[in-house]
Amino acid sequence: MDQVSFRGMESANRRKTFLLLAGMGALVWVVVFSALTYFGQSTVGIVPIAVGIALISVWGSYYASDSIVLKMTGARLLQESDNPKLFNVIQEVVIASGLPMPKVAVVQDTAPNAFATGRNPEHAVIAFTTGLLDAMDRDQLQGVIAHEMSHVGNRDTLVSAVAATTAGAIALLSDMLTRMMWFGGGRRNNRDSNGNPIALVLSLVVLILAPLAAVLLKSAISRRREALADATAVSFTRNPAGLRSALEVLAADSTVVHQRSTAVAHIWIESPLDARSVSKLFATHPPIEERIAALKAMENLGPSK
Amino acid sequence: MSKLLIALAVIVVLILILVTFYNRLIRLNVAVDEAFAQIEVQLKRRSDLIPNLVETVKGYAAHESATFEKVISARAKATTATTVADVAKADGAITQALRGLLAVAEAYPDLKASSNFLSLQEELSTTENKVSFARQFYNDNVRSLNTAVKTIPTSFFAPMAKVSAREFYEVEDPQSRQAPNVKF
Repeated sequence: MDQVSFRGMESANRRKTFLLLAGMGALVWVVVFSALTYFGQSTVGIVPIAVGIALISVWGSYYASDSIVLKMTGARLLQESDNPKLFNVIQEVVIASGLPMPKVAVVQDTAPNAFATGRNPEHAVIAFTTGLLDAMDRDQLQGVIAHEMSHVGNRDTLVSAVAATTAGAIALLSDMLTRMMWFGGGRRNNRDSNGNPIALVLSLVVLILAPLAAVLLKSAISRRREALADATAVSFTRNPAGLRSALEVLAADSTVVHQRSTAVAHIWIESPLDARSVSKLFATHPPIEERIAALKAMENLGPSK
Repeated sequence: MSKLLIALAVIVVLILILVTFYNRLIRLNVAVDEAFAQIEVQLKRRSDLIPNLVETVKGYAAHESATFEKVISARAKATTATTVADVAKADGAITQALRGLLAVAEAYPDLKASSNFLSLQEELSTTENKVSFARQFYNDNVRSLNTAVKTIPTSFFAPMAKVSAREFYEVEDPQSRQAPNVKF
């Protein structure tokens, strides 16, 4: 019940992330089980191959996330002398969070937005668009920095890498197995003719729908991590009003970052894809109105110790 | 034979549990020490800004000597404080004296427009924020430590680790408990 305070919000979101990741794991099992039902024992060998490919492809981008993301977004690293005031505000949040000082980067773009990346807090990068630095006052900037530092502290690059690996493995598995179905479907009947037809149809449906379910789970995890970062940001600054008014600026602004790639859409503080997103279920971020409402609820509690 | 193995396994598990809780308490205790050192670093930064600030204000408002005295004596007192309570008390006194000084500065438009004062302004507000976040971080760490010292099962290991509940950093001035608010 106590979800209005930032501590309550934090643990609720952590719990939901855990459940969603567990759901991902369960989904892998369901897919493997369906494959076994449909194709028989011979398919077991495919599972480690799919997981291996997914692991290798995601692990590389996770490990080098700081340099890859900087390249993909065209961000430029800043020195303290380039913008002493920005560094002052960042140092304040660093002290509040107890995390190491991140590298700071700026993206030449008039749309206000920001992101954080890096495989661990020691390799963290936080980046801001020039539009955001121009539009925000000190309190708002502090809120945005706290949100980004929360991603660093909560290790969200790792969480999303785990989610991406599982979703990738599921997509690969389902793809390989549906191909097998077209080419080797006939052999199955000879091998295990005792298969229950309902179980066969069910496992076929699972194989076809699993990638979609994986993407939905991945988006849900991303939304939970955003809500968690908002709550953790408040635990750093104890000032929900700052982040709230920053989000209001972002909500009022209709310009969108000129993304070079949709692959990094989920890392920004405000989704650059909102206009295009098919539905709430696929969104990487909770609706901004919902986030503002959650922060307002924390403000109403008054200053907390 | 198998009984011996079971006994051995139980002993290993018990040792692992002990090490885990012992280390957790030590880590929390060290974190509090580090957080307190951070407060002192930030207080030192603020203290270093004071002479420059006083000189700048003096140039425009020389006759407000009572206010300067307060700031300077509060700063001098702070250098001798070592315990948490003393440091917090001295910190509170400086915070209050500085607020008085800045209130004085309000009354002198020439001073407020001077380039020296403007460059001090950003330094002062960020330092005040840093001091305040360092206090908050310290208190959060004390809160975690004290919870561990007082709750089961970590409480059983506290005497062995020689870790006990620590003092919160409490600044007397009720205003300074709130979000930092240095406006010029």
